[in-house]
Amino acid sequence: MDNPWIRQNVALKEAHAELLTVTATRNHRLQATWLDPASGRQEQVTVDVSQEHFPSLTPMLPEVAWDEREIHDVFGYVPEGHPDLRPLLRTPRWPDNFRPLRDQPRARPTWRDAEPDNPALTVEGDGITIMKVGPTHAGVIESGHFVFSLMGENVLNLDAHLFQNHRGVESLLEGQTIDAVGAMVTRICAADTVSHQTNWALAVEALAGYDAGATLTLDRILLLESERVVSHLNDLAQIPAGVGFQVAHQQALAIKEDWQRGLQRLYGHRFLFDTVRPGWVASVDPENLLRLVHAIGRSWTPWRRLVEGHHGFNDRMAGVGVTTRAEVVRFGGQGVVARAAGKAFDARTLLPLYQDLRPVPVLESDGDVRARFAVRIHEVEASLRLIEQAAERLRRQTTPRDAHWRPPDEVSGQVVVYTESPHGLNVHEVAMDRGRVLRYHIRAATYRNWPLLAHAVPGNAVADFPLINKSFELCYSCTDR
Amino acid sequence: MVWIVQALGVAVLVAVAPFMWGIAQMVKARRQGRRGPAPWQLYWVIRKHWHKETTVPERSSWVFRLAPSVSMAVLLMIVITIPIAGRVPRDWPHNMLTLFFLLALERFWSGLAGLDTVGTFGGLGASRVTTLGTGIEPALFAALGIVWQVSGNGAMAPLAAPLSTAPASLLPWLLASTSVAMVLLAEWGRLPVDNPDTHLELTMMHEATLLEYDGRFLALSEWAMALKFTALATFGWVVLGPHLPSLWANLGLRVIEIAATAGALGWMESRLTKLRYFQLPAYLAVAAGLGMLGFYLASGGLSV
Repeated sequence: MDNPWIRQNVALKEAHAELLTVTATRNHRLQATWLDPASGRQEQVTVDVSQEHFPSLTPMLPEVAWDEREIHDVFGYVPEGHPDLRPLLRTPRWPDNFRPLRDQPRARPTWRDAEPDNPALTVEGDGITIMKVGPTHAGVIESGHFVFSLMGENVLNLDAHLFQNHRGVESLLEGQTIDAVGAMVTRICAADTVSHQTNWALAVEALAGYDAGATLTLDRILLLESERVVSHLNDLAQIPAGVGFQVAHQQALAIKEDWQRGLQRLYGHRFLFDTVRPGWVASVDPENLLRLVHAIGRSWTPWRRLVEGHHGFNDRMAGVGVTTRAEVVRFGGQGVVARAAGKAFDARTLLPLYQDLRPVPVLESDGDVRARFAVRIHEVEASLRLIEQAAERLRRQTTPRDAHWRPPDEVSGQVVVYTESPHGLNVHEVAMDRGRVLRYHIRAATYRNWPLLAHAVPGNAVADFPLINKSFELCYSCTDR
Repeated sequence: MVWIVQALGVAVLVAVAPFMWGIAQMVKARRQGRRGPAPWQLYWVIRKHWHKETTVPERSSWVFRLAPSVSMAVLLMIVITIPIAGRVPRDWPHNMLTLFFLLALERFWSGLAGLDTVGTFGGLGASRVTTLGTGIEPALFAALGIVWQVSGNGAMAPLAAPLSTAPASLLPWLLASTSVAMVLLAEWGRLPVDNPDTHLELTMMHEATLLEYDGRFLALSEWAMALKFTALATFGWVVLGPHLPSLWANLGLRVIEIAATAGALGWMESRLTKLRYFQLPAYLAVAAGLGMLGFYLASGGLSV
């Protein structure tokens, strides 16, 4: 406790700061960046790791358990006192001395001939069944390996093994020029792509000291909120499927499809790839977007009435997969999962981007599947209203659109930027050196929410897992990178 | 004549079973706003599986390979015992106990087959199917107690005629019919008990015991699944439904009744969600309770 690294980080957590990132830099330092939700100010704590090890924060701050395991896997620094230092990204195929983000120069490792599975955490005893699901699933689902310990129909423990499709995005980004980064950041994840692109744009603009004008900002709000509508509609469609409510499932998918076809028509891409760049944003006639919002509203209202009035469906969601507010705070939960448990944090309220259009966070208190479903319903409507307001302003804007700003070639410095993606607080830590990426760290909201899912499932019936999982609807791609 | 009608009835039921399944699927698709496959899709699916290579899991035994045939054989026997057109030849084994035990036999084998592969989902499905069976069987007895009451020997005979002469006949009939419908939904593995259309292995019951099958075994299992629907729907209508004077007309009526049942099933499944697994005993208890109440009323409970 007398260690300043632990003391300062714990003090920040106790002051209700949000952890943005914990990661290693290129010069043998660990760096934790915290955000004060009241003022929006950031604070950084660093510790020297040139001795190859550092005191683990996990016993005091369990939310960094995965970050520290990842640092151990990809940098080789040892968090001393970490209670569970199993590999996170590393698989038995990695050579022993392979530290992908530390070794210079980067060399392609010789993979070992071994089974790729890491040992799982299971419960042992009489009458306990170990059930392994995935990483390949039935249906269009990303790759995740889940190891359940079951007692009859009851789940005793869930160990989620992600990072099955780890692409090494952070390593690939190093050394890239500003022009090359955009296309890669866009493809970190299809569900949160606008949020990732906006983070990159904000980072370059902050480092170059460029102040985005009103038009640019409003156009970005349109894109960020359009993306939220796609993602939430998809999640709202998947939850009824978990209990066999096919009518609600298909109808929500139809609304989502209409919305995405509209985006394809307006922006040229169903998932809004390549729509935000430093100093630039794809813009459309606000009139057309308003028309799309009204068209969606016509099918949305009957759907909402269908699901909210369905007794059996609401009964299935109530009290299942509960995450308490205390757990959310302890594990640093983000996004819908956190707000459904009563934690009033929405990064949009802190972003200068949203100006006076700032939405009030939608809150529920039960932390169960029903609460997460309800939060998404309200957030879809709030996003549609936000799009209307921003589009209305753009329509009334008489000043010509801002000229396309090109970032200077010699951008240098380090910055931590964030946006509220559909899944929650999405953070990028970017260090540039004369126009080239020195280190790029991506910390998506789902990275914080996966451990919460593993806590919400035990105690429930295993048949309810798909329902709980779909109500979290965590993104694999953002987490795996 | 009775022999010919019965033989023809069996042939018709076996032949139309996949089509009847398809009707339910078609109604569901329409209710979901989809065009959906044609009602005869299951015939093509079965043909496709039949012509594919058949593989078996390495660790499975003869039990796994025999189970689909047992399933089909049991369902054929069930269809044969049912007086499809309302009457059967003399000394026909059309006692309801035969039907109940045949269903239990089928359940036993599908549970064994699920366990045999030592796969996770198969075991889970086997456990659920058998657990549910312990609730279905007493509920089915309770639901059809009224038949014993009326016929005296538990033969699968039309109930409508004798019941209409009994006092306060409508109420017991309604209770028995509701009870039978609830139990049959569970026996068929349809909503709100089981969802035949899901791809979520963790929520499956009957489907989970079939996951390891492919090729001819899968084709046989799917036909048997469809036949179970048709056979038990026929059984329900024979015992509780109306009858026409002519045998041939009765046969035609059965086909229409089954199609209507399939349509109603599809419509209803579009309105329901699956119950929680731990609520299923309560569901079956309600079915059993309604059946027993009907039995009590039919045995003159009100006049005592």
